[in-house]
Amino acid sequence: MDFEVTYTPEQEAFRAEVRAWLVDNIPEGLEQPVDPGDLSLEQYQKLRELGRRLGAKGWLFPTYPKKYGGEELSVDFVMIVEEELDRYSLHLPPYYDSGGRLGGASIFVWGTEDQKQHFLPPIFRGEWRTWQLLSEPNAGSDLASVQTRAIRDGDDYVINGQKIYIGSLHGCEMMWTIVVTDPDRPRHENLGWLMIPYGLPGITVTPMELLTAGGEGGASPGLKHTVFFDSVRVPAFNLIGGENNGWRVATTHLELEHGGGGIIRRNRVVDQFLEYCTTTKRNGQTLSQDPDVRDDMVEVFIKNEILRLFGLRTYWLSHAHKPRSYEGPQLSYWRKTQALEIAEIILRAVGPYAMTDDAQWGPLNGLLEHYQRSAVVGLHPGGTTDIQKVIMARRIGIGRAEREQAGRLR
Amino acid sequence: MDLGLTEAQELLKTSVADFVQREYDKNTLLALERVPTGITPDLLRKVAELGWLGVVIPEAYGGEGRSLTDAAVLFEELGRGPVPGPFFASGVLGALVVQHGGTEAQKQAILPPVARGEWILGVAVTESDYGWRPEKLHMHASMEHGHYVLNGTKLFVYDAKAATHLLCAVRTGPASNGASRGISLLLVDASAPGVSVRTLPGWMSQVDEVRFDNVQVPADAVLGAVEGRGWESLETAALQAIPILCAYQVGSCQAAFEMAVAYSRTRIQFGQPIGRFQRVQDHIIGMVNHLDAARWTTYEALWKLDSGRPAASSVHLAKAVTSEAHLKVCDGAHEVHAGVGVIREYGLTLHTQRSRTLYPLLGEARFHRRRIADALGW
Repeated sequence: MDFEVTYTPEQEAFRAEVRAWLVDNIPEGLEQPVDPGDLSLEQYQKLRELGRRLGAKGWLFPTYPKKYGGEELSVDFVMIVEEELDRYSLHLPPYYDSGGRLGGASIFVWGTEDQKQHFLPPIFRGEWRTWQLLSEPNAGSDLASVQTRAIRDGDDYVINGQKIYIGSLHGCEMMWTIVVTDPDRPRHENLGWLMIPYGLPGITVTPMELLTAGGEGGASPGLKHTVFFDSVRVPAFNLIGGENNGWRVATTHLELEHGGGGIIRRNRVVDQFLEYCTTTKRNGQTLSQDPDVRDDMVEVFIKNEILRLFGLRTYWLSHAHKPRSYEGPQLSYWRKTQALEIAEIILRAVGPYAMTDDAQWGPLNGLLEHYQRSAVVGLHPGGTTDIQKVIMARRIGIGRAEREQAGRLR
Repeated sequence: MDLGLTEAQELLKTSVADFVQREYDKNTLLALERVPTGITPDLLRKVAELGWLGVVIPEAYGGEGRSLTDAAVLFEELGRGPVPGPFFASGVLGALVVQHGGTEAQKQAILPPVARGEWILGVAVTESDYGWRPEKLHMHASMEHGHYVLNGTKLFVYDAKAATHLLCAVRTGPASNGASRGISLLLVDASAPGVSVRTLPGWMSQVDEVRFDNVQVPADAVLGAVEGRGWESLETAALQAIPILCAYQVGSCQAAFEMAVAYSRTRIQFGQPIGRFQRVQDHIIGMVNHLDAARWTTYEALWKLDSGRPAASSVHLAKAVTSEAHLKVCDGAHEVHAGVGVIREYGLTLHTQRSRTLYPLLGEARFHRRRIADALGW
């Protein structure tokens, strides 16, 4: 076994290339607020500019074929890009674009060649930022019971309905959604998967204020919206995966959303919390010298190490194209439940300081305060912890001889 | 990055699994649970021929010279049994103590017969003031007429009944350096006059009390030929041995998990397999989470050791996580199995007993959690 990427001279040369490229191409004045909800439009535009530059290089979605805007990089090379971006606290994509990440993968698996040629290059080159539209007021965990309809009318689909918990701070170019395309067909066989340009007539977007205002930080929960469709016409060309096949298309992005792609990033909150405890003095001694805090630190460390290993294991399975089963939803379950527990241990260890982002008294520029909120909000996006367990049970084959297969990623 | 086993490891895994299936059927395991040595002479001969008692011993000393990860692959399969016997005490912990603490002559004298299964080592450290820290060691060896004389009791010694020789940690000089100095490891012939081994009754197996009553040990039996440095050898050996013990526990967790999944499919109540009930599913999902946490912390620690990376915090992490996972996985299996799980002949209690018996070996979880903080320099 080897838990670390060992780099060849070729890869080290690539690292040097990436490092030099980033120095030249990261837009001047780029700053990341502690609370992604504070990201200004100007800063967002800088991130988009970086995304377009990465995209032009093929590095925004680097594993995909060159003809769609990728660079056909293997996992070891992608890790180098991720590691070098991580030095700037950035990652791929550098702004909230889980719609592009999940939707791109879905189109890649299920789209026709014409559709791939049309939709993938703008996503992979960073020209479009994409929102995903899944939940509805009456379809959360039971996603297949969506009620928004897209009924075929000539060369178009006409969409009517409402989607919630959508998007982030600063708008998008493209959206995708699952909708009922044939109300008379049985469950799971009545859905379609549609790409929808953001600015079409009949679309109304209104903000929802959540416990974290979030925004543009990767896939982190953010400011969300309700999106209303009032007889919005979309070309039939935009239906991916064929008639009434939307649920199967969704298995690809649901697999990714349920953790199937793995995680290799460090948990900055944990890193900074541990460092804070070893450096912050109260009454003449560091917090880490207090035996109770020391126990708390170890508890956080252990939870986070297990999370790191689950993320690494799942990343390897996914990127080395190994058979996958319950590992993605297990990672998602662990990430969500442990984040909440870690937040509570931090509150215990640090005390009420963890609840304020006051300029004088709030630790780490408000990072811990933000984590108290984001750990709560983070429980639901991409499926509740209970849903993750339901999927795990089906894939392990608990109470059933036939084990459910993981969604296709390739 | 490659988190899969090598081809050679896959082959080893399969051959061990085949052997365990063939030689250690459930009735054998149930019988061996009550055999104080945990092994029969016939099985001992067979496993010695396979090289399993010398898996980590270098080839120069008659062993297999395999990596710690290889050894873990072997022990994970033994843990699935769970196969009892002195595999770990002699072939891993004992052998590593000699490797790290012995003189060249001692290694040449001790390790080949250990690898051949002719000698079985037991490591006698803990006493009635139980614990795996040097300040918990009180037993003293005095020097009289050119040999050591041992009086006292070692308690909770694993696999002492099977041992032909005991590596006994005793005080030969004044305690210093946080009590770790002054401890020597003496190689004691288990059949020497005055040594008596009594297997402890109750819900543990192959754990013994060893009494020393005026036992005479030659002066050259001190490991490393230097007095007072035994604790360092023990700690170095333990750091390498712990993840192999963890791998055994991972195997046991895996077996208990698979038993629960199989039972969830076949046990019908309320007209359907019990695994259709989400409360039952919750138990099994809790089990697989513990199992995987144990598995990956264990194998990462092994990888760090085998590749020469600093490994202390990972080893302590693996031990803290795995020993608790073993308890919790067995708990979950009992929740799923209910009454059937406690029928002895069903076999689940073999795992449950092991999970409790092995929990304190080489330091309980709380001890290792604290060592994590120390190892990370907090």
